[in-house]
Amino acid sequence: MSTIPIDGAATVTFTVNGASVATEVETRRMLSDVIREDVGLTGTHLGCEHGVCGACTVLIDGQPARSCLMLAVQADGADITTIEGLADGDRLHAVQQAMHDSHSFQCAFCAPGFLMSTVALLAENPNPTRDQIRAELSGNLCRCTGYQSIIAGVETAVELLARSGGGERGGA
Amino acid sequence: MSAENQTSGLGGLVGQSVARVEDQRLLTGNGSYVADIDPPGVLHAAFLRSPFAHARIEAIDIGAARRARGVVAVFTGADIERTTHPFPPFLMMPGLYTPLYHALSVDKVRMVGDPVALVIAESRHLAEDALELIEVDYEPLPPVATIAQALAHGSEPLWEKADGNLLYDHTDTFGDVDAVFASADRVITERLSCQRQSNQPMETRGSVIEVDPATGHLTIHNATQSTHMLRWITAALTGKQSAATSLKDFLTNKQRRGAFVSAAREFVSANAESLKKQDNAGPAAQLKKDRSFVGHANRIGLGLLGKDDYPTVMARDIGGGFGSKGSIAREDVALAAAAIELGRSVKWIEDRVENLTDGGQAREEMITVSIAVDNDGSMRAMRADLVVDQGAYPGFPVGAPLTTRIMMVMFPGSYRFEAFEIRSRVVATNKGKYIPYRGPWANETWARERMIDIVARQLGMSPAEVRLRNMIDEADMPTAMVTGPTIDETMSTKRTLERALELVDLDAFEEQRVEAAAVGHQLGIGIASYHEAAPGPPDYWDSVNPGTSMMTFEDARTTVEADGSVLIYTQQMPHGQSHETTYAQVAADELGVRLEDVELVYGNTDRTPFGIAGTGGSRGGPLGGGAVKYSAREVRRKVVEKAAKLLEAAADDIEIVDGNIHVAGVPSRGLSYAEVASAAAAESGDPSSAPFDETTTYRGHGDGGWSTATHVCFVDIDLETGLVKIPRYLVVEDCGPVINPAIVDGQVRGGVAQGIGAVLYENSAYDDAGNVQATTYMDYLIPTAMEIPDIEVHHIETLSAGENDFRGVGEGGMIGAPAAITNAVEDALAPLGARVTEQYLPPTRILELAGVIDPD
Repeated sequence: MSTIPIDGAATVTFTVNGASVATEVETRRMLSDVIREDVGLTGTHLGCEHGVCGACTVLIDGQPARSCLMLAVQADGADITTIEGLADGDRLHAVQQAMHDSHSFQCAFCAPGFLMSTVALLAENPNPTRDQIRAELSGNLCRCTGYQSIIAGVETAVELLARSGGGERGGA
Repeated sequence: MSAENQTSGLGGLVGQSVARVEDQRLLTGNGSYVADIDPPGVLHAAFLRSPFAHARIEAIDIGAARRARGVVAVFTGADIERTTHPFPPFLMMPGLYTPLYHALSVDKVRMVGDPVALVIAESRHLAEDALELIEVDYEPLPPVATIAQALAHGSEPLWEKADGNLLYDHTDTFGDVDAVFASADRVITERLSCQRQSNQPMETRGSVIEVDPATGHLTIHNATQSTHMLRWITAALTGKQSAATSLKDFLTNKQRRGAFVSAAREFVSANAESLKKQDNAGPAAQLKKDRSFVGHANRIGLGLLGKDDYPTVMARDIGGGFGSKGSIAREDVALAAAAIELGRSVKWIEDRVENLTDGGQAREEMITVSIAVDNDGSMRAMRADLVVDQGAYPGFPVGAPLTTRIMMVMFPGSYRFEAFEIRSRVVATNKGKYIPYRGPWANETWARERMIDIVARQLGMSPAEVRLRNMIDEADMPTAMVTGPTIDETMSTKRTLERALELVDLDAFEEQRVEAAAVGHQLGIGIASYHEAAPGPPDYWDSVNPGTSMMTFEDARTTVEADGSVLIYTQQMPHGQSHETTYAQVAADELGVRLEDVELVYGNTDRTPFGIAGTGGSRGGPLGGGAVKYSAREVRRKVVEKAAKLLEAAADDIEIVDGNIHVAGVPSRGLSYAEVASAAAAESGDPSSAPFDETTTYRGHGDGGWSTATHVCFVDIDLETGLVKIPRYLVVEDCGPVINPAIVDGQVRGGVAQGIGAVLYENSAYDDAGNVQATTYMDYLIPTAMEIPDIEVHHIETLSAGENDFRGVGEGGMIGAPAAITNAVEDALAPLGARVTEQYLPPTRILELAGVIDPD
């Protein structure tokens, strides 16, 4: 790995929702800033910028990650999925559809993070228990709902995905 | 329910859990929050904030910052003092002094995080780099960190013109308190205290001031709960035109003069009764302390009158507020001043550290309550002594003083009291600004409901029994609270309590209690009941503060466009409450159209009706929803009238089903909204205006009333760890007819979750020197999905005599929860001798109360 200057710039290359991005970034900039400002995808939200609230969660090579804690240069070569990458045109991803059906969110500022965490959870464990859902989503904060509707949304997603034969539109 | 049913347009949408209209954009990452707005060439702002709780600013050197890479400008308090007016007192009340303050601190800082300078640069990174180059010479002053210090004689005053740090001191007495106290069997007294908390929406505050380079017009994109309030206060505080020029402009512009005179006449005639009740003692008290407001008020007033162009305020999606975004941020005014000065667009998105420090805090109150009670459990009179810690700056528009007035009125709750007296005080301390937080007066419910359990324990009665014995019920109605407001049939608290008691099996619980104790767990159950003014009876606001009943108005405008589409315009500013869905349900039912035929217009002061309240105070359902209902109903009447002519039928015979307007029984010969609207448009000959257009002002008079609820909380306390688990939590609520049950349940559960946070996790702590301790989410603990249990919500739907029966529900969850939880904790620990007098009960405090660890 080459040495990257602390206050300089570096070229990073990654894919976002399947599209290749090659851009020169200041090395101190976070991945979340580059996704929002340079790539122009503002669905990834910044709630705390210290890695607790989880609103900035994206998938890096399929794994959920806090884009506010990750330098953009660390994502060099990564395959990134953001909230904008879930729906297929007008057709919602099963997790989005389930959250809609379940009245999961209110202000929905936290929703992108919850949706990405849920996609990652169900890819790994398609049939989680309620306690597992609570534990897995405890890295995402919501201030509006009291979580019950979000957990119901995850359970609905499990049903939708099972009905559609597992994996279909379930992966990222 | 299926999608087909949701949009049937056969009426009956109200009452259904219709899926949210907002979701399509919000679940796909296509929302538009303020941080997503980037006008061309926008500059970025960062604030330099005080590291001291209390200090004089001796000097500021901005030279190096100004020369730093990418920096366009640096503004200090002195610049802001020159270009803006200070925040004025919003409400002048007897016994109150409201200090005036500028958007940036001028010669003194009063809290850690106090903004002292503003850097505008090419990027946020560069702006923050430059902050480090600003040299401020502070002369520290003794900090005032607690209520006790603020009340102590000789504490360093935050405000020179105040009497020490006591800013408000007022006593209200109802009935012969002394006589009832003397005649009661006993008096039970306790001092209760609540820690400082913070609203903490997941989206911080933020503002993007867009400047039109050609005209200088400002468009302010802001995460605000009240667009019109922000518009007017920005216009008022940044108006630099001299009084003489403004007066000349006003007098020479006939159109503007005419508009002002007619608006003033309309306001006075609409609010004549309310205006008559205004008490001059309030302004007199303010002016006695500080006459400078007169000069500012004159310049602000004339500046507004003489202004040709007011800012446009816009907002689309807002990531929660819980009251915090209803306050005007000092930062908002500083940013607008900077953008005007530079003629450039400016953007600022608050970070979380700033939000936890200066984004608003709440609830820190000390309340001593005495209840005069007879041995049969009759509560006869109550005395309360309330002190609110306002922190460093008065909230604007709603701050601690108005909150104490609401606490005063609501303190007796749903119970019969012969007499009541309350002394309310507000003190200044070197801490974050006290602002409204979801049910801002909620600690009256916490204190009263906590006290009732204390009374019950001392009398050897059950808490439910004491409540039932004293609660106002239908046999008493109509009656009034001892503090004034009328009690009508909507005050159904007793029914919610009775229903809640049916839903719990107390015998089974007592068995579980014994079993748990055997394995080191203490179980407890807590009840809390309350009613809230949502919107309250017509005499409610005048009971809070004479002359404020004029606040109970709300406009909605309904139009049918030439293509038949329906637009609803509201001053409400949704930030999670799902207005786009619920207002469409209400309007679609009135108009007989499908949900998707209705679109809500909000968040744009150029298009929406005026109203300074925005969204807050649980007004969205009753007032906003009521106004929508009545304006849509009026449009329907006109549409039917027009259709009747076209169909050559009597208006009474016309019905509308699924957008088909026809003579009853003859749907095949019906007209669509588009056909009726285009006929009306052709007749009017004005293609630019909607053929049907009605604005209705809804005042809530005669309708509305109270929302009520009873909460029951079960706790399971582990005596080894001090952890409090909530195995069951239930709410029985009554907000009248429910527009959308899923949305109402969500409001209730979210409120309860914040109440759980308030009691078990959240503390905006300060040390003795006034240093803020909780500046990240590692210190300020927002409960997660692991901590919040499932919450059962049960509905009672009491109808009132009025035509509009929607009542508010946004705040209730948070009002009831702290009392139910702390009552449950005391019930669990009472066998160990515990008495709960604080709201904040983290594990260490639980273990202290249980006698497991030593308090010291």
